[in-house]
Amino acid sequence: MDKKLKKFLQNATRVAPKISKKGELFELRNGLVSPYPQTRKDAIKKTIQQMTLGKDVSSLFPDVLKNIATTDVEQKKLVYLYVMNYAETHPELCILAVNTFVSDASDPNPLIRCMAIRTMSMIRVDKILEYIEIPLRKTLQDDNPYVRKTAVICVAKLFALNQELCKELGVLEDLVSALEDSNPMVVANAIASLTDIYETDSTVVPLPKLIQGHVSQFLLALNECTEWARITILGALAEYTAKDALESQEIIDRVTPHLQHVNAAVVLASVKVVIKNLPLIQANSDAPIFGKLSSALVSLMSTPPEMQYVAIRNIRIILEKYPHILSRELRIFYVKFNDPLYVKLEKIDTLVRLVDPSNLKQCTLLLAELKEYAMEFEPEFVSRAILALSQLGVKYSDSKFVSKVLDILVDLCETRDTFKDDCLVAMCNLLRHCGSEHDEMVTQVCSIVSTWSGADSILQSDYAKCNFVWLLGEYPGKFPHLQTELNSFIDSFAQEDSLTQMSILMAVVRLHRSIPGSTLQNVLELATHNAREIDIRDMAIMYWRCLSLDDSNDDLISELCSSSLPEISTTLDTFSPELLETLLRELSTLGSVYFKPLSSMSKQNRLHSNALRGKQLDELKSIARDEIAKNMNEETLLDLDGDISSNAHTDGSILDELNGLFDMNTASPSIQRSMDQMTLNDSGKTKSQSSNTQDLLDLF
Amino acid sequence: MASCIYFCDSKGRSILSRRYRDDISPSAIEKFPSLLVDSEQESNVIPPCLTHNGIQYLFIQHNDLYVLTMTRSLSVNVAQVFAFLYKLVDVLAEYVKTVEEESIRDNFVIIYELLDEMMDYGIPQITETKMLKQYITQKSFKLIKSAKKSKNVMRPPSQLTKSVSWRPEGITYKKNEAFLDVIESINMLITAQGQVLRSEILGTVKVKSHLSGMPDLKLGLNDKGIFTSDGNASQVDSSTQKRSNIELEDLKFHQCVRLSKFENEKIITFIPPDGDFELMNYRLSTPIKPLIWCDVKIQVHSKSRIEIHCRAKAQIKKKSTANNVEILIPIPDDADSPKFKYSHGSVKWVPEKSAIIWKLKSFPGGKEYSMAAQLGLPSISDLEIPKAKRPVQVKFQIPYFTTSGIQVRYLKINEPKLQYQSYPWVRYITESGDDYTIRTA
Repeated sequence: MDKKLKKFLQNATRVAPKISKKGELFELRNGLVSPYPQTRKDAIKKTIQQMTLGKDVSSLFPDVLKNIATTDVEQKKLVYLYVMNYAETHPELCILAVNTFVSDASDPNPLIRCMAIRTMSMIRVDKILEYIEIPLRKTLQDDNPYVRKTAVICVAKLFALNQELCKELGVLEDLVSALEDSNPMVVANAIASLTDIYETDSTVVPLPKLIQGHVSQFLLALNECTEWARITILGALAEYTAKDALESQEIIDRVTPHLQHVNAAVVLASVKVVIKNLPLIQANSDAPIFGKLSSALVSLMSTPPEMQYVAIRNIRIILEKYPHILSRELRIFYVKFNDPLYVKLEKIDTLVRLVDPSNLKQCTLLLAELKEYAMEFEPEFVSRAILALSQLGVKYSDSKFVSKVLDILVDLCETRDTFKDDCLVAMCNLLRHCGSEHDEMVTQVCSIVSTWSGADSILQSDYAKCNFVWLLGEYPGKFPHLQTELNSFIDSFAQEDSLTQMSILMAVVRLHRSIPGSTLQNVLELATHNAREIDIRDMAIMYWRCLSLDDSNDDLISELCSSSLPEISTTLDTFSPELLETLLRELSTLGSVYFKPLSSMSKQNRLHSNALRGKQLDELKSIARDEIAKNMNEETLLDLDGDISSNAHTDGSILDELNGLFDMNTASPSIQRSMDQMTLNDSGKTKSQSSNTQDLLDLF
Repeated sequence: MASCIYFCDSKGRSILSRRYRDDISPSAIEKFPSLLVDSEQESNVIPPCLTHNGIQYLFIQHNDLYVLTMTRSLSVNVAQVFAFLYKLVDVLAEYVKTVEEESIRDNFVIIYELLDEMMDYGIPQITETKMLKQYITQKSFKLIKSAKKSKNVMRPPSQLTKSVSWRPEGITYKKNEAFLDVIESINMLITAQGQVLRSEILGTVKVKSHLSGMPDLKLGLNDKGIFTSDGNASQVDSSTQKRSNIELEDLKFHQCVRLSKFENEKIITFIPPDGDFELMNYRLSTPIKPLIWCDVKIQVHSKSRIEIHCRAKAQIKKKSTANNVEILIPIPDDADSPKFKYSHGSVKWVPEKSAIIWKLKSFPGGKEYSMAAQLGLPSISDLEIPKAKRPVQVKFQIPYFTTSGIQVRYLKINEPKLQYQSYPWVRYITESGDDYTIRTA
């Protein structure tokens, strides 16, 4: 009886005091030094909770640290968690813990060994790093693979914190030899660490050489490791270039089973390895491997939307290299009504790229589908669908089909008020594709457009307005109220953006015979004085000069006015070959999603457009150089070489030179075309003109 | 590689975070809410990767949460990042049931621990829940018991880094059973006229294994249908041969399946994780006719009323029955005072979804039911553009039936050491996928 009572009393008094939910600092501090272990643990938890909420509990550091010496693994974990968070702000206090770290690193429990080494290598305090050598070495050679796989990563951490120390300790060699480890997970983590170090400083570890030396090990390890390790190993394999077709084939054979892994990232990593090795084995397009790739890519479309987004962006790259890989899978990319918008837009883009222009049935199906999309409600989605309609029309190219597309667009113009801009641009693209031979299409478009009163206020975007003015200039006969339309644009000339201004200028010059001279004068004046863009001013000055030449130059003037823009043959943008190859090598990276190769990392702008533009300018410059050479040739009457002399004009009047320049407008459709491709649709017409202007500028 | 992981609330404010690297300052997260707002204002398109100031924000959405990771490098494997974030949510769900703002706040200790174990320095590590549960046992709401039991023996299981990293040793059951569920979800897009624009079957084979020891399982599927084994060369015509090959390629397996064995010998063999898991999934794009077909006629008499006539037909075998059929018909936001006429099931007006839902508990094959509804429209209407045309959505379940005709021939269970008797059970079910829709005219 007495005993029982005693026990009861003991139990009653041993109830540990609870800590209230408020988490006041003093309360926590009392809890942390409490004699009751349960209370201390509870206090640490509450402290961490406050830390999570963003409250500064760093003043409790010494008190928390006292709890690190414990046999309770849970409690230890908590303390480590806290220490990691605040070590930076309290380096001097961390030293107090260093002995515990070091001794924990040789604890019999692998979990604790791991935690100690992981934490030590995370603390950004130089003094701690001094103590790291022995534990790190020990754990790198640990019996337990779980500890080794952690230690291997610690090397990369240490390298990031202190390169010199890392080299000095010679743990990099240990890291390299970890590639030989019997455990695939250690191997994978070693690859990841080495990659990380290589990215920081490629001189420290010879990564490509190491990968080369371990390809067969990697291939073996692939079958028996976790999904994440597989991704890492596949990533390394993708960096390796096979010696010959035989080896490539072997790699492909070993990797293809992984195309069926449930983890989409493993699938994509496998796709990357296969694509890297495809060129070497020279598979023809009906080889079974393409079927496997195709179904792997298709399966990525039943993943969560974020993953689909990555997949579609990558498919876009792969399609450019292997256009037929998914040609039978069009329907997979049909938009689902509950897809997020960013996926919908990418899907439309893929649909238009994927459709086979020689397959009428497929094109008609897609046309019906796109029409359905254009009746939807989200503005971005509808705009994109309208653009896709015109892209599809241009791609299929047959005039009957185009007129079907046009019918749909005209219909849309009437029913969907808010999308006039997009419809107009789409229609103009179609006209530019095949309008010149098909008068009825032109009439159809112009008759609907001419019913819009006050087009300059109906249309919102600069680009749509510019297209509208282009229509006015190109087909003046189709507009009964041409003069009023033009005047309303001219009146607001100063408020318009540059594309429209340029377009107005060109339209007015083109029509100068049929409109009052004062209008022409007015516009030229506006363009030379009020335009902000230097291109427009220059263009205006040039026109002015041409027009003010003697009457005998009617030829020039009429040529100027009658020249028509080259036909648009495609409205889909493509990558330059070099960019494409780079992107294929970088599949599944963030860079490939942005279409921005890693080498451009420092640059803020999207490089793909820049790279292309740069190339374009180079091309133009070289043309300009030729042209200048030609002029020099004329002036000095020196035969530089036969090629040039054949081009040379015998009389060197400015006029003929100009003539030659205007010829360029028609003589170099390839430039124009590539220009159109480059800017997709968004500035097809006027941009190409303006760059020619720039070209002219170079000459004058 | 990922620098950090954040759990953010629906506005993008940080709830809980774990930083793995030092290359991104802790204040970078503060920019995230405004980034979301900015890109929403600019256009409605918010891709799952945003850039600001050289920092890449990659995120997924789950319930009311954003799960976000940041990185500075473009060389990060985004596919891996997204796959990991989804996996993370899955694992958390096993610990805290629903992953949402509240459960994140309530279980911060265990989440910190999991984050530490699942990722190290931005490199994904161990994500197999069955194994994590062996040694991450902090008290969460579900795990009080096991935490007590294993406090002193808490150390990483040795299988963790072995090739069978998903199954601990020493599991025992009194009765050894394995349950196989073959579930096929049908996604279909049908025009108002009844033309099928797109159809696909997404099949999954789920396994619940209650087996002792380290059993080796071998699954045989009917080799008549799609899963023709390579030996069967005498195909009727080459076109089906071609197609069946492609469909076969669309198989995806859980990591326990020996992929190279399947690749070479077309045999599905595996050592299963304990408990529930998804063994494999497949996709078929063979054209199928609608299983449940609805002919919906909507007549809008503007400013007065809207009339809906719906005929639904179960185009399945007479002996099959579709259960829990739900037909969701969209109506304008401002419609009200509904009147319904129907012979079977029940019809409800759900104003918050702007729709009426017709529910049929059971719908035997071959039957055709109809329903009529009339709703009033306000007499004054603002001259707004017509809202999105939403499709009719159909949900259903058809037990004991697979659309593709897949069948399990055998499931051989062999545990080399214990040699016990075991019982495999198989169930089949076909259900609607998340996109079984019929467009309205």
